[in-house]
Amino acid sequence: MTERVIPRKEVLIESSVPGGGVPPASMDELRRQIRERETRVRVRTRELERKTRELLAANRDLERAIAERKRAGDRLRRSEALLAEAQRLSSTGTFSWNVATDEITWSEQLYRIYELEVGMPVTVERIRSRVHPEDVSLIEKMRRAAREQRGDAGFEWQYRLLMPDRSIKYLHAVAHPTRDRDGRLEYIAVVQDVTERRLAEEALDKSRSELARVARASSLGVLTASIAHEVNQPLSGIVTNASTCLRMLAADPPDVDGARETALRMIRDGRRAADVIARLRALFGKEDAVTELVDLNSAVREVIALVASELWRNRVVVRTELADDLGPVTGDRIQLQQVILNLIRNASDAMCGVEDRPRQLALRTDRVAGDRVRLSVQDAGVGLDPESSRRLFEAFYTTKRGGMGIGLSVSRSIIEGHRGDLCATPNDGPGATFSFSIPCGSRA
Amino acid sequence: MIPAPPLVAVVDDDESVRESLPDLLRQFGYAVRAFSSAEEFLASDDLARTDCLLLDVAMPGMTGPDLQRELTRRRQQIPVVFITAHRDRIIRRRLLELGAVDCLFKPFSEGALRVAVEAAIRGEVAASLLLPAGTY
Repeated sequence: MTERVIPRKEVLIESSVPGGGVPPASMDELRRQIRERETRVRVRTRELERKTRELLAANRDLERAIAERKRAGDRLRRSEALLAEAQRLSSTGTFSWNVATDEITWSEQLYRIYELEVGMPVTVERIRSRVHPEDVSLIEKMRRAAREQRGDAGFEWQYRLLMPDRSIKYLHAVAHPTRDRDGRLEYIAVVQDVTERRLAEEALDKSRSELARVARASSLGVLTASIAHEVNQPLSGIVTNASTCLRMLAADPPDVDGARETALRMIRDGRRAADVIARLRALFGKEDAVTELVDLNSAVREVIALVASELWRNRVVVRTELADDLGPVTGDRIQLQQVILNLIRNASDAMCGVEDRPRQLALRTDRVAGDRVRLSVQDAGVGLDPESSRRLFEAFYTTKRGGMGIGLSVSRSIIEGHRGDLCATPNDGPGATFSFSIPCGSRA
Repeated sequence: MIPAPPLVAVVDDDESVRESLPDLLRQFGYAVRAFSSAEEFLASDDLARTDCLLLDVAMPGMTGPDLQRELTRRRQQIPVVFITAHRDRIIRRRLLELGAVDCLFKPFSEGALRVAVEAAIRGEVAASLLLPAGTY
């Protein structure tokens, strides 16, 4: 390469002689001409050498760039291979969806998850043919919502595939909006096949709830039996004494002294029964409530961790918006968590029949006027009709099959015990929001 | 000469039962002795002449069923009517199978008590294995 670039000196000199072939007038003139030519040649040579150096440098840069590009290509190929391997190992596929052109691109793994031939064109029809019939409308809703998306909020949803062999796959998808080169809305999404995890969790959950049920049943049974025993003893005395008393009064002549004696015993036994009840109240009542500083945010997080798998099983997606500047409240952590748990379970139950929209549950904490802290639980469930709104907090009122109707009345009494209030409001859209607010750092 | 009334022994660690039950049984016309424990009853002179034993199931020390077994071992054929504040049908069934005349759940009615004690004194089995008697 270098050979071609460096020109030959002689040729250059020859061609640079102006008016070549014309003889010089004198020796002096000739010398002058030669000097002049020499000078010109030197200048041109220096110029050529400089150019040559520049070209050499450019050449080296070019070679470096080519090598770099080759390395980048290698790196890219390696990274793509790694990504594909990672997608395969984690059963995670990716896709992009250009909303304007409806162009959908899948990663290889996503083809494998859907069990479609890698590389075949992805159409909405083809996707729909695999989605579980019960989830098709959910997917349609998601697509519509994604089209109408204005902000930069992402989407998260869970759906099922019904494979040709009738097996079911559980997928968890997260999509983020972005813009293509022409500024058009495009989604980049990650889809994970969580079937195995889900089945394992379901099995675990089933045994866990069975265990909890047995534990609850036995502890409740033992508790009930011991309460019954404690109350039955004095009741037995009362009944026996009453029978004796009546007989003494019915005798001829009546044994008034004996009757008085048995009546006094009845009073004593009645008090004894009342004492048993008072002890029970002390055991379960709020007199024994523990008062401590409670960080409502961490209390919420603990409850979510506790019910996460239950919510997951009910296909409920939880969103939390917990305020950073939330001060601690003074109260009974366990009691407050019981209320939170109760509100979350109610919200989840309210959404159990929802199939046409994401079962979204939003938990928010914030500070409100009057130095209060508020927690709200928003669901997208069946909502509240006027009748149930009115009776919601009554004991033994329930809209749920199998519900006892005590959750919300107990919750309200706990919140009122914290000098707060608990209320329910219908959402603008579907569902309802339950919230309580309690004063910061104070307690009744 | 009027024959001596049958003797009913009440064995219960609960004082209000020991106070109230004898009075009612006396109203029925029985002679009554009350004991606060199985051990106290076993040590008493009344053992041999007791016609009916009203026996609490759960007591500290020797339990009601323990006493029943001990009486069988000593070949003391005293009809036993159990009384218990634990409403447990399985335990009741087992006690009846072991030869108790009846097992009354506290609080029991005057009528149920009377039927059980009379049956015991006549040497009958009062209770059905299926239907718990003496319940309110």
